[in-house]
Amino acid sequence: MSEIKAKLRSEIERLLKDRFVDVFIAFKKADAPLRPQPAFFRNTNELDDLEYNGLCQNNLANYLTRYPKDTKIGIVVRGCESRSVNALVVEKQHPRENLYMIGIPCQGIVDIRKIFNRVGEEVANYSEFQDEVSVVFKGEQIKFPRKEVLHDSCLRCVHPNPINPDILLGDPVPEGDPSIVRQSVESFQALDKEKRYALFRQEAERCIRCYACREACPMCYCTECFVDHATPRWTETSISPAGTQAWHLIRAFHMAGRCTSCGACERACPMDIKLTYLTDKLNEDMLATYQFEAGMDDTTQPPFASFNLDDKNRFVV
Amino acid sequence: MIYILEKKKLDQTLQDWSSKYEVIAPQFVDGVLQFHPVHPNSELALNESINTRYPPKSLFLPQSEVMLRYNPKSNQLEDVKVLPEERIILGIRPCDAYAVTLLDTVFITEENSDPYWLARRSSTIIVGLGCNNPHSTCFCTTVGNGPFNHEGMDALMTEMDDVYFIEPFSDKGDALFSGLPIASEEEQLKVKRHQTQVTESMTIAFETENLKQTLDNLFDTDFWGKISESCLGCGVCTFLCPTCFCFDIVDEVQRNERVRNWDTCMFRIYSQEASGHNPRPTRAERTRQRLMHKYSYLPDQIGKIGCTGCGRCVRYCPVGLDIRAMLRAASDFESEVIHAG
Amino acid sequence: MPDNGHNPYEPTPMHIIRAYFESNDNSLKTFELTFDDHKDCEAFFNKYNPGQFCQLSIFGKGEAPFGIASAAWEGDFVRFTVQKLGSFTKHIHTFKAGDPIGMRGPLGNGFPLKDWKGKNLVIIGGGCAFSTLYALTKHVHHPENRLDFDQLVVIYGARTSGLCMYKHDIQSWYQREDIEIHQAIDVPEEGWSHHVGYVPDVVKEVAPSPMNAVAVVCGPPIMTKYTLPTLVDLGFAPEDIFISLEKRMKCGIGKCGRCNIGSKYICKDGPVFSLAELQALPADI
Repeated sequence: MSEIKAKLRSEIERLLKDRFVDVFIAFKKADAPLRPQPAFFRNTNELDDLEYNGLCQNNLANYLTRYPKDTKIGIVVRGCESRSVNALVVEKQHPRENLYMIGIPCQGIVDIRKIFNRVGEEVANYSEFQDEVSVVFKGEQIKFPRKEVLHDSCLRCVHPNPINPDILLGDPVPEGDPSIVRQSVESFQALDKEKRYALFRQEAERCIRCYACREACPMCYCTECFVDHATPRWTETSISPAGTQAWHLIRAFHMAGRCTSCGACERACPMDIKLTYLTDKLNEDMLATYQFEAGMDDTTQPPFASFNLDDKNRFVV
Repeated sequence: MIYILEKKKLDQTLQDWSSKYEVIAPQFVDGVLQFHPVHPNSELALNESINTRYPPKSLFLPQSEVMLRYNPKSNQLEDVKVLPEERIILGIRPCDAYAVTLLDTVFITEENSDPYWLARRSSTIIVGLGCNNPHSTCFCTTVGNGPFNHEGMDALMTEMDDVYFIEPFSDKGDALFSGLPIASEEEQLKVKRHQTQVTESMTIAFETENLKQTLDNLFDTDFWGKISESCLGCGVCTFLCPTCFCFDIVDEVQRNERVRNWDTCMFRIYSQEASGHNPRPTRAERTRQRLMHKYSYLPDQIGKIGCTGCGRCVRYCPVGLDIRAMLRAASDFESEVIHAG
Repeated sequence: MPDNGHNPYEPTPMHIIRAYFESNDNSLKTFELTFDDHKDCEAFFNKYNPGQFCQLSIFGKGEAPFGIASAAWEGDFVRFTVQKLGSFTKHIHTFKAGDPIGMRGPLGNGFPLKDWKGKNLVIIGGGCAFSTLYALTKHVHHPENRLDFDQLVVIYGARTSGLCMYKHDIQSWYQREDIEIHQAIDVPEEGWSHHVGYVPDVVKEVAPSPMNAVAVVCGPPIMTKYTLPTLVDLGFAPEDIFISLEKRMKCGIGKCGRCNIGSKYICKDGPVFSLAELQALPADI
């Protein structure tokens, strides 16, 4: 991975030196243990802090909507991230010509909580090499296969290779098997209604309405979210089953045709709430009904955000 | 005076208590470490090296709390009396217990004391547990606290070998343990040595002597924009924080209740005014408010830093922002930009 | 631990006895409220001091803060003038005499009248923020209170003559000898014989003397922004200039954390601050 990081660094240097971009969004070294952070590089002398490894757990496309549309933004993207960028371009959140995507085929994001659960809370010195990762715990180095500590969304990933980047660093990796996520959705569907509701209720019960899921999601960029609207108030802001369940369900529906299954929402949640089972289901529905996957290019309109006269449902007219 | 409770006798002690009190202690609930009522089958998680995810301030200031009920037709009030059970909170860490005393200065005042907070406070006995293995994200000693501080506790437990050594700090705390064997002088020294050793093993994360002045000097600079660039503007840091207390009051019309909910200065709408004006329009101002509330304004108001170093904001920030690094950056920024320039 | 048994979040039950529009566009409506329980009335006036505010409460709609626009001697009622701006104020505008409503107050510090004894008062208000200054003027008008103060100058600007509040009463002030009243509107109108211009310019024109005087300013942020330097130029010291501030509020009693400027809460340590106090606080407004 450090080879990729070196390549990434020199590419970012070139872009900044030539003023090809105003800002480059990538990751920098951790302050909190094992937590590399999103970073916004503007000068080449800042690049000593550059970081790139499996612990880089945020979807960087999230930051695109913060900049005026004439800002020239460079961004490093993995598979799902590149799709989020494309989806944002389709929704006119930033013009493609003002974006420079450096694509890196993804080996999957490491779920740091899986490492904590497996080894212990006080781990340090993460490193990775090929398909293994290692940490130091109580002075001892412990290695394990990367696959065993990948985030759940990455285990179901279909498109790890960046789509339409301006430049690709590293060799493409095999695409994922779409039947994995389909099976995971189908096995949830196969449960009876009461069981499904019980699982949903149990997950929603822990929610503390911090909206980390919303803020970590690149597609949640509304200047006023429906939960913040006061006249009328659509949902309760209190911690109650009704309010919280409404929050989870409605946000999932707002993601239909837009979500790229990156899992940033689950990784952001401080209470370890499962969320992707809802959006995965909606994504499968979009695939089956409209043969549509978000972000596979930067021009095709999502079915629910566009209208054609030969659309299946003309009730909108 | 230090009592000795053998670990294997803890279950019996809890059983004895449960006839008079509800006992609340850390347990894994759906895989997440939280404070939860203790039942006969409960498996306590007292000796974890990490604190609970959700802070125990929720036991005194619930995230959603019904303050008043009203009859919408007659517009009459039906007051809500808070009559919580007599309860014991067991296994609270020094950072969280100290945080409760900081919140006392907000809610218990000469005029307008908060009756809901008061009722819960006065019916609770707090038995704390010292931290044998402070985590690398803990920084209690940096902010004037420590892994075996007892402020806010009726009794403090220190776990060593197969026993808990218990120091009572109030009559209520003493009454809970007074039947137990008493530690010898030698044992007491051993406990104190252990506590001191652990406390001294913690490193200081940032200097606090000039911190307030530094932050005040930085108020009008672009420091805040720089350090908050990756901030998502969610509520994780403030909701998991044991000293944050800001709340919103809303009328929930479907249940005819006036409810108090935790709120956060990190949300844009927090300070949004009806006229459209927002005194804190960007993340920079909101981050400034959060840091200065804890490290400048609360020191002005109560003479103490409003942070107890529990580390939750460091561990659970979705983008890995570390408040310790932000405060170190403040001192660096001040010397580089203000003094040098 | 203190426990005086009083729940500060519980609204006092009140009823509206009078409700009438102040402005010709019906955007401003005045309500006068009486107490359902006389004990509450006594408790209120024991604490009341002009410059304070109350949280008006409507179950199912919430609460909002409004400056008290009446003086204690006017009677056992409390007056508020409400501008129709958001969902709460829109709702309260539909209220009429006889309707029940809740009130929490009086809240805040109010004007430091004891410190102003023997001084000249220069009262400067703009738009609908004039309500508490009206309360102050009415308080001073009472013969007993009048003796506490020397000269009284009132400068009150509204955008148009139709938007001017308390018109009828203010008309009578021109006939009094114990007050110098200056009204202003932004642009000339037919039939308007008083000042034309923005309040800061009118203040320059009137040029009140800072000798043994305090100035108290209440108005929209843009008016305050230019009036304060004008007063400083006229020679008023920051300790003698007072402003009433506003911010989004919820609890009104210094507990919910929302309305702070630095280490001060507008609801508890304010809303009245001297310019000197404000200058020591960060610019968080």
